[in-house]
Amino acid sequence: MRIKLFKRRKEDKLHDASNMLVMTIAFLVLGLFISVVTLTQTALRYLENQAQITIFFQDDFVEENILSLKQNLENDVRVQEVKYVSKEDAFKIFTEMNKDEKALLESVTASILPASLEVKVKNIVDLSQLSEEFSSFVGVEEVRYFKDVIETFRFWSSTAYIVGFVLVGIFLLVSYSVVVSTIRSRIHMQGPELEIMRLVGASKDYLRAPFVRKGLLYGLVSSTIASSVYVLAFTVSFVSGLLTKDLAFGFIHSVSVNPIIFSVCLAIILILSGGLLGYLGSTIALKKYLKF
Amino acid sequence: MIQIEFKNVTKEYDGRKALDKADVCVNNGEFVFLVGPSGAGKSTIVKLLIREELPDSGKILFNEENILEIEPEDLHQLRRKIGVVFQDYKLLDSKTVFENVAIALEVVKSSKQEIKEIVPNVLNMVGLSKEGKKYPYQLSGGEKQRVSIARALAHEPDVLIADEPTGMIDPKSSNEVVKILQKINSLGTTVIMATHDETIVNKAKKRVIRIENGKITSDKKGGKYAD
Repeated sequence: MRIKLFKRRKEDKLHDASNMLVMTIAFLVLGLFISVVTLTQTALRYLENQAQITIFFQDDFVEENILSLKQNLENDVRVQEVKYVSKEDAFKIFTEMNKDEKALLESVTASILPASLEVKVKNIVDLSQLSEEFSSFVGVEEVRYFKDVIETFRFWSSTAYIVGFVLVGIFLLVSYSVVVSTIRSRIHMQGPELEIMRLVGASKDYLRAPFVRKGLLYGLVSSTIASSVYVLAFTVSFVSGLLTKDLAFGFIHSVSVNPIIFSVCLAIILILSGGLLGYLGSTIALKKYLKF
Repeated sequence: MIQIEFKNVTKEYDGRKALDKADVCVNNGEFVFLVGPSGAGKSTIVKLLIREELPDSGKILFNEENILEIEPEDLHQLRRKIGVVFQDYKLLDSKTVFENVAIALEVVKSSKQEIKEIVPNVLNMVGLSKEGKKYPYQLSGGEKQRVSIARALAHEPDVLIADEPTGMIDPKSSNEVVKILQKINSLGTTVIMATHDETIVNKAKKRVIRIENGKITSDKKGGKYAD
């Protein structure tokens, strides 16, 4: 009888460990998803900051007109910054970029390079509209912007969000099922004990408390393990110089945080989610299976 | 003073009447035998009294309170006033005798000190003061039933209900169990014992309520099994 009890306790511990492992994986996936969102948002914000349209002017469009246009653009609410690149500036840039190609440099003079205005916008969505507006301007030769790069990045990051969101959903569902099925099997396993306790006057809350504690323990321990992994990973990345910039804070546009602070916030989110999942899973299982 | 009152209580299981318009009163401090053949309705009365089952009609009063109106969340308060002893003991194999009795106190959140004081007392009352560390599988049927009685007594209930407590034990142990129940009754606790053990009932000379096919066919003080 005692050996049986000992075996049962050992099996219980193994069961607990395997359940917590599954839930830890779920929280690692959730953390990974949040991290991917953050890192892609950070990259996207960086790309957006780099995004600009370049308006090239015809050779006969005089500098005075270009500067007047520059002034108008600076007053445009959509525009963040306008930089004038004269023919001479363009030649300097060209020379610098092709300093090793002497033959090419000999065939190019400042006069054949167009003057341009580099226009950075506050919101990337205005790029396309501004580009269209200037394409039809008198004196404008061409308007260029790296529309495709940003839109491709946007597409892939959106795809990553959707895939990540689905994965998180699946793993959270699996975790929820783990909590519910564990509580259910424990209710069945402890059936006689629960019945006796009920008959000798245990209140509903008294009977439910150990199961809720179990669910909370599962959720909190597994989410704490996952959180520790992320805090460690972000701290090491930051200290080793792999992550140097502040990270975007979710989808909040103007807020950036230090990677270590971000990892602490992530840990708090994961631990709260763990507690909530454990609590909800166990209370729902009790409602469903503890029929007293 | 009336402690328990069944008023016109009917309970059916799959169309079969386990209790048919039963009217029963039990006074404070009484010792009552519920007798009758198997399936007569004795256990139904026990289950209705601790509200493990609900009647189809009628009223059940305990200390003048209609127990059918008690909210499920408050049922534990009723069950703390009624100790129950089962035919199959309902002991936990994984717990010692001491722990099995202590459960009744743990669920009412008694302190460790209270448990340390009360459990040895009730074990002493049922003659098991030296068996506290044993597990149920190390005990005889009679001893297991005495543990069950000790557990029912732990939180000093107003009423002790024993549902066929001698059904699975030998005659000698049965006598011991009944003696313990009589001792408990002499200390002021109402005892209701469902049984079909004729010898015990005839020897005890207590109030006997006879049930047959769900109907109360006789109710006599100092009665005998066959009355």
